[in-house]
Amino acid sequence: MASSTNDARLDSSLLLLLERTREVYGYIPEHALIGLADALGLPVVDVYSAATFYRGLPLRPHGKHVIRVCKSVPCYLKHNGSIIHAVERELGIGPGQTSQDGLFSLELVNCIGACDRAPAMMIDDEVFGDLTAERVTEILAGYR
Amino acid sequence: MPQKLLVLRNCGVIDPQDVKSYLARGGFKALRRVQSGMTPAQVVGEVRRSGLRGRGGGGFPTGLKWEQTAQSPSQMKYVICNASEGEVGAFKDRYILEKDPFTLIEGIAIAGYAVGANKAYLYLRSEYAHLAPFLIGAIAEAEKEGFLGIGGHRFGIELRLGSGGYVCGEETALMESLEGRRGEPRARPPFPPSQGLLGFPTVINNVETLMNIPWVVANGANRFCGMGTEESKGTKVFSVCGDVERPGVYELEMGSSLRELVEGLASAGDVKMVQVGGASGRIVPADKMDVALSYESVLGAGPVIVFDKSRDVVDIMRQTMEFFAEESCGKCAPCREGTQSMAETLARIVDGKGRRKDLKALEDLSAAMMLTSSCGLGQAAPYPVMDSLRYFRHEYEAHISS
Amino acid sequence: MKIEVILNGAKVHGSLGMTILELARQNRVDIPTLCYHPDLTPIGVCRICVVEVEGCRTLMPACQTRIAPGMVIQTHSPKVIETRRTLVELMLASHPDVCLVCDKGNDCELRQIAGDLGITMPRFRMKRHYYPSEDAGPHVVRDLTKCILCRRCVRACHEIKKADILAMGYQGFGSKVIAGRDQPLDAEVCQSCDVCISVCPVGALAKREDVERRSYRDCRDGVRLRRTGESKGVPQSHTFSSPHEGEPGG
Repeated sequence: MASSTNDARLDSSLLLLLERTREVYGYIPEHALIGLADALGLPVVDVYSAATFYRGLPLRPHGKHVIRVCKSVPCYLKHNGSIIHAVERELGIGPGQTSQDGLFSLELVNCIGACDRAPAMMIDDEVFGDLTAERVTEILAGYR
Repeated sequence: MPQKLLVLRNCGVIDPQDVKSYLARGGFKALRRVQSGMTPAQVVGEVRRSGLRGRGGGGFPTGLKWEQTAQSPSQMKYVICNASEGEVGAFKDRYILEKDPFTLIEGIAIAGYAVGANKAYLYLRSEYAHLAPFLIGAIAEAEKEGFLGIGGHRFGIELRLGSGGYVCGEETALMESLEGRRGEPRARPPFPPSQGLLGFPTVINNVETLMNIPWVVANGANRFCGMGTEESKGTKVFSVCGDVERPGVYELEMGSSLRELVEGLASAGDVKMVQVGGASGRIVPADKMDVALSYESVLGAGPVIVFDKSRDVVDIMRQTMEFFAEESCGKCAPCREGTQSMAETLARIVDGKGRRKDLKALEDLSAAMMLTSSCGLGQAAPYPVMDSLRYFRHEYEAHISS
Repeated sequence: MKIEVILNGAKVHGSLGMTILELARQNRVDIPTLCYHPDLTPIGVCRICVVEVEGCRTLMPACQTRIAPGMVIQTHSPKVIETRRTLVELMLASHPDVCLVCDKGNDCELRQIAGDLGITMPRFRMKRHYYPSEDAGPHVVRDLTKCILCRRCVRACHEIKKADILAMGYQGFGSKVIAGRDQPLDAEVCQSCDVCISVCPVGALAKREDVERRSYRDCRDGVRLRRTGESKGVPQSHTFSSPHEGEPGG
């Protein structure tokens, strides 16, 4: 009995529900934050407190595809600057911005665990390694 | 010294999507043996005798952790597999998860039996989300074959995805995150074996630690003890990257030399320094690369980043400290303010605006952070700066005087 | 149950469950604290109260560490003092240099601790936070630029008032105390209470009437001062003098 109650507590954990909200909307809209507070019987500030802690839970809309270029040391050693530059040039946006067509957002992130294939980036959940500026152009073309 | 494949023995050999190929390699034999003929206390005793220590960087004796959890009186206990591999340069857990999920599942199941837990969570960092469907499939396969929860021992493994954040690799921050709150480390004591997830006794182990378990059970603690050094038994898996010809995942017997790993296996040339353990790892200058990799000297969680002679040490440190400033959870003042202040100071030095007293400031901040930060992140963050000031002080001074 | 420990070289007795801080205060040993408040659950985030405990690799927060039989504690060793100084200097580095015009004046606990440790010039340089001052609320005037993230207000709101209007938001150096839907602390969010103000160790939270009274008096005094050229009866910290005069950073 005890275990199923506990499982329920973890299955309806705020973070899990925020994660599901993100899957639906691509971000966490304000009405969802308020709705979750209501549904879980939590003070609204607690929902904001948890949601704002995690970079993976954006509170503002993103592009349809989120590009995360790794900026940590192993990728830096492999000239990730040229990769960031290539993405910026292709999309006409800088880090933290979304392209005008709403298709792409660009983020610079810390180590994504693909250092053996540095420089690397992720588009949504997919990892791309051993990048060159030319490869970036090809990859992005596949998403348009 | 060649590689010694213990943890990685099945990687690239079995089909990670097919449990039958794992069974054909003797998979789940250890679990069967445990379930059919060993008491939980016997399993804990075997792990204790093996001398296995945590592979996530902390190095805490695994058997002791299990024993404490097993002895904590509670109806409910948990096992957590920490796959929140976020250390810079670390990708060995990812490699293991991709190539051999079944040994890990077996290790988790043995841990559950040994400590008396009915439930395990596999906490996967969000950057590895692409592996989630595959891992869920592997767990389902193991379940279908009847390997989870037999002989009156009910046991389930559930995968949980993180929401991003280096600090969620810290065991108590990870639990906070699992419970749905901000990923801020808890004050300790109490430690997880007495009060962990939801306040219940919890064993939390790194992926690689659990990968060792089936081997230890199948081959016995004595054989495991026969490998390694006095205080570091068995093998260690490293992920090598940076200025090397062959970046990748390598497994060596504990006590092997760093030079063998970096120059011999990964084919680095013209090495200036190596950072062992990721962003918070120790700096080893090229002339000290004969050091033995072990808990007694230098080890960390496995990432090994190699820098050749063309690299600017201070610039690397600036990058490293910026990483910590971004990843600090912000709860305790020394880490929140210290990482930020150090990152800014290093940036000024790189930009040629450094002053001589900045070096003293970096040293004092490092000392204070190491002594007062409330979790391992803040305590370990200053290591590379301290080490580089020791071995490459002239490079800092060159930036300042120019 | 009585527990015997060695506190700064002397044998003293405490009871089971007592923290090092409680034991020290009972024995008239003064350990500085910032995030600690007697009415609130200790959380050990400022780390100012750290002490040396024999056998521990790191210094331990006195407010959270419970005493154990035979513990050997140093509350004022050179290592402890040096480290505390560094921590306070670090906190001052990101704190605005406006003590002379701050309403908290000499009541500021951060300023008092800095004074006790003999800190004058902050040694570390770093960027500061800029948040707009919030004075739309019926009671509370909030200036987050002065906040040291001790979380006393958050705990007071939750533990004493049970209002749950305040919480920690965001992460790392960017973290701040948020109210409601991360909105200004105005009448819509917070109606009536001022329990958070009474626990704030610095000038981040103030009572509306105090701020108004003080600014009225400062204006009045300022006019008189300029006319007469004397500073009789006016505490220096309450006058609008240039931040470059007087104690820098204190």
